[in-house]
Amino acid sequence: MAKPSDDQLFDLIAEETQVDRAALNRNAGLADLGIASLDVMSILFEVEERFGIQVEDEDLATCTTLGELMDKLAGAGAAAAAS
Amino acid sequence: MRRVGVTGLGAISSLGGTLEENWRSVISGRSGIAVHVMDPGERGPPAQELPLARVEPGYAGRLDQALGRPIAGSLDPFAMFVLIPALEALQQAGLRDDPVLREDTAVVVGHGLCGVATLEVAYERFFGQRSPRIHPATVPKVMVSAGASALAMALHVHGPVFATSSACASSGHAIAQGAALIASGEVEVALVGGSEAASTCGSIRAWEAIHAMSPTSCRPFSADRDGMILGEGGAILVLEEVEHARARGAPLLGELVGVGMSSDAHDITKPAAEGQARALAKAARAARALERTDVLVSAHGTGTPLNDSTEAEALVEVFGEAARKFPVIATKSAHGHLIGGSAALQAVLGLRALSEGLAPPIQNFTTHDPACDLDLVLGAARPITSGMLLQNAFAFGGLNVALAFSAGVS
Repeated sequence: MAKPSDDQLFDLIAEETQVDRAALNRNAGLADLGIASLDVMSILFEVEERFGIQVEDEDLATCTTLGELMDKLAGAGAAAAAS
Repeated sequence: MRRVGVTGLGAISSLGGTLEENWRSVISGRSGIAVHVMDPGERGPPAQELPLARVEPGYAGRLDQALGRPIAGSLDPFAMFVLIPALEALQQAGLRDDPVLREDTAVVVGHGLCGVATLEVAYERFFGQRSPRIHPATVPKVMVSAGASALAMALHVHGPVFATSSACASSGHAIAQGAALIASGEVEVALVGGSEAASTCGSIRAWEAIHAMSPTSCRPFSADRDGMILGEGGAILVLEEVEHARARGAPLLGELVGVGMSSDAHDITKPAAEGQARALAKAARAARALERTDVLVSAHGTGTPLNDSTEAEALVEVFGEAARKFPVIATKSAHGHLIGGSAALQAVLGLRALSEGLAPPIQNFTTHDPACDLDLVLGAARPITSGMLLQNAFAFGGLNVALAFSAGVS
């Protein structure tokens, strides 16, 4: 179990959503990037697979920016690492 | 009466990524069938070598490029195989960004199976890797309507959008249903056709299990025919109400003048001539084809022993001895059997044959079969003067579709 870094998350999100890696930044809106609900599910799936962490689905529903989403994902990783 | 014209065509198969490439291949006698090594990986049985007609890799990247954004990663190949030819067909029709797509267009596409490649990956994780976690994109990629939805989303179609499924006749039914939506006044344009992408390691074994596959090649109507070759790809026709097309000066490539649909209600795999004849007769009567001598028959022609002789019997039952004088083509001998996508690909090639006045040869033929005593186009492409195309599509479960297209629009 590990906390994913921003770079690791950007790589993973670019891969899963096929959005250009260079277009990804913490302030970007998910809708503006074309990241839909199914993409978020795919990102979640890969994060849990690769980092061995568990994120509650409902935690992600309120995210509107990439930064918020990444904080939730990384936060779950940090919690898992601490426990 | 509202008439249904054809204003655009597109295709992708083992013969190429455009209709032009497919047409050049069939007319020159080039085959898309080749021996492939199918390796199910370390947790599967040993790899096998067998003849298949597979689409060349590279299509996913070209699709992303054509749409100007990444989309291929979210689609199973079977959905891409309707989206790629749809873009080509709309380009030819001159409708790529036309407002009619938004409000007055239907999408009806046929598939015999669904996203089997995606399903195999998911189940390999589950049964092979023993992981309880399946990728969340699995259901949206696998569902049989995924291709229809992909078309609607990419092209902003807000009218009736759905998939038809009737095994090997699926895209035949799709063409019929799209045409009916135009004839009824529901829409002005319908994107119709279908696809299949079923040549995956597991799916192939299932097809082998019913002894439908040839270990050699596809030889429609040949006395030594021994089965079908599994193909993949798809095709799309732009159907358009004739006056709508005329009003915008669009070239009309043909008209759908007769449709016949029937069910054998007999056997899940064996065909019945009586059921096929019922569909053929309906289409022929509607198209007034029974009095004609200039019909080009694009046969279902799978190359399986029982199918081809049954089809010959049904043609003679409906048209009498005149059926033996119609030139008969069977392009599955070149592109393999696209299952749900076959009727559309064959109709597209048949329409092209009508407009070019040239019939592509049946490939791999060796020996005349008295049970298939028809005027088969053999050897090389043959000049024809046909004014009408009869497209047959007959499926497992005895589901039959016959479509009659006129060459021009009066």
